[in-house]
Amino acid sequence: MVFLSLSCWIRSRGPDRYWKVQEVLKHARHFRGRKNRCYSLAVRAVRRALVYATKSRKLKKRNMRTLWITRIAAASREHGMKYPTLCLSVQLNRRVICDLAVTEPRSFLSLAKLARARQQEGFRAALGDGKEPSGVLSRVVLLQ
Amino acid sequence: MTARGSQSRFLQSVLRNGVGRYVCQLKRISIIFSKKAQGSLGVREFIEEGVVDYAKKNPSTVVYVSPQTSRIPKIVAEYLNGNVREEIVTNKTSPQILELLTKLTNQSGLEIVRIRKPFHTDSPSIQGQWNPFTNRPPSIGPIRPQKQDSP
Repeated sequence: MVFLSLSCWIRSRGPDRYWKVQEVLKHARHFRGRKNRCYSLAVRAVRRALVYATKSRKLKKRNMRTLWITRIAAASREHGMKYPTLCLSVQLNRRVICDLAVTEPRSFLSLAKLARARQQEGFRAALGDGKEPSGVLSRVVLLQ
Repeated sequence: MTARGSQSRFLQSVLRNGVGRYVCQLKRISIIFSKKAQGSLGVREFIEEGVVDYAKKNPSTVVYVSPQTSRIPKIVAEYLNGNVREEIVTNKTSPQILELLTKLTNQSGLEIVRIRKPFHTDSPSIQGQWNPFTNRPPSIGPIRPQKQDSP
């Protein structure tokens, strides 16, 4: 008697499982705990990681902007003024002003003085008589 | 995919290439193709027409042409800093392969990964970086030699 159909009952369920699993695990290698070794835990962790990555592309821009604003506010308070005063006078973007405040403190000081002068001008225009300050001549006043 | 999960590098140039003389960073190009397969048709055309002109235009790059049966047509580019880049060129036309080669020639050998900042300075601060004592008046006056009462 020869058993010929025995070998037909052995089936290969799919030869690629190892590589499909490794594709997921390679993104999980730097995780903590069993998530970096066990496939079922890793699948969930990798999916969350990728979702966080997509969401945080917008968040990064927001966070960087708030960081710059915090730093500019701190630097301007060192010179005795506040962030809105500085930002209205200086027509530069926040990233550049923040870099100036960190790496070029004296340039930032001159920017702060400029903003202070603008602020004083604004106060005088709002609260004063409507006349030019003494020693200043301008065509607008002469034409009227 | 994620920032921590994939590699990243800072913007850099290879040894300030271009400030003085420009050195082409491509060291070696090996074109592997097959003499009879269909996918290597474009590569074979390119080798008939364009390879010699390309090699004459770039005298600092060594071009190896190796026909190997039953291999996928590939272009292997090696750079001066040791990086190796392989590009598969099955079913590409001859002008497409020329375009690819010019792209590889113009690249420096640095890896193509996320660049953290699109700028780089060796001297970021000229007036001196801010420290907590920058805008503070000094607490002691200028240091002078001690006054001695006894003559």
